[in-house]
Amino acid sequence: MPRVHVVDVPEFQPVVESAKAREAEGYKVIGPREGYFTIETAGEMSFNRKDMRLTPAIWYGIFTGGLNGEITSFGREVVTIIGTNKPL
Amino acid sequence: MTEATVHEKARNDSAYMDPSKRGYRTGDVDVTTLKLASEDDVQLVLKGVDHSARPTWKLRETVTFYRDILGLPLIHTISARGWGPEGHPDFLHFFFDAGKGATIAFFYYIGTDRPEKYMPEDSHFYSASHTAWGVETAEELALWKDTLEKRGLIVSKFTKHEGLESIYFRDPNGYPLEITRRLRDVEVIDAKDAALTLEAAMQLEDAAKASGQKMTDIDTVWRRKAKLVEEMLGDL
Repeated sequence: MPRVHVVDVPEFQPVVESAKAREAEGYKVIGPREGYFTIETAGEMSFNRKDMRLTPAIWYGIFTGGLNGEITSFGREVVTIIGTNKPL
Repeated sequence: MTEATVHEKARNDSAYMDPSKRGYRTGDVDVTTLKLASEDDVQLVLKGVDHSARPTWKLRETVTFYRDILGLPLIHTISARGWGPEGHPDFLHFFFDAGKGATIAFFYYIGTDRPEKYMPEDSHFYSASHTAWGVETAEELALWKDTLEKRGLIVSKFTKHEGLESIYFRDPNGYPLEITRRLRDVEVIDAKDAALTLEAAMQLEDAAKASGQKMTDIDTVWRRKAKLVEEMLGDL
């Protein structure tokens, strides 16, 4: 199960909002706890840059809050992650 | 001690002025031998940037660019015989006002040629050493970009980073310059997050060094960061 931690600052708020808008699709948002939101999904998780209106500089740092998972593709517009057995 | 006594003592005691002990100028500082700030009762405090300085081999172009094109007031010039360490050329050292007490300064070493290794490069490593000046509003930043372009300079697009929006250009020496504005104040969470990110990266750098490897990617840092965050949150 992939988990993404998102710092509770304005730049990354669109990431949290994007997940909240997809609760019906299985996206769960926890927090903020101690300054971090946590996004969880049962299966694959994805984010779309244009939907979130992120600038490239923010987009390419989207997981700076912490990634408990593995990136399967990271393009200019879409990033996809899955759960991982790799050590954290 | 009077100021004069303090300075005299420093002159006599300092390896800085001892020609036989100048290895520190080219060797790495070994932080493992240094005392930590937390180990004494002294709180050292800086009060902003006074100046940054770089060498130039283009005197007229540099003065024209900073004073006459950017419009930064020339506020001080030192002209002197080379002194101190042997081989120091005669020089000019001059300062342009960059606001709030900060200046950008240059050394012009008379009669010298620019060494190859000081030539500008089109590379990330080279551009990492740059000067970033602050403005306060989007309007000010836009005015800088528009005006510099009208004065003929090639200026980058506006780039929004975390917390900063910037434009970039270069001076006649090839030195990278940036004008930036803060998009928001830095909060407590930013400092906490900064420490966690670098702690994750330092742990991985230590592990990589111990096995004679280099860190491979940021994904690994993000995973270690997740571990640190989850430990902090009590999830692990």
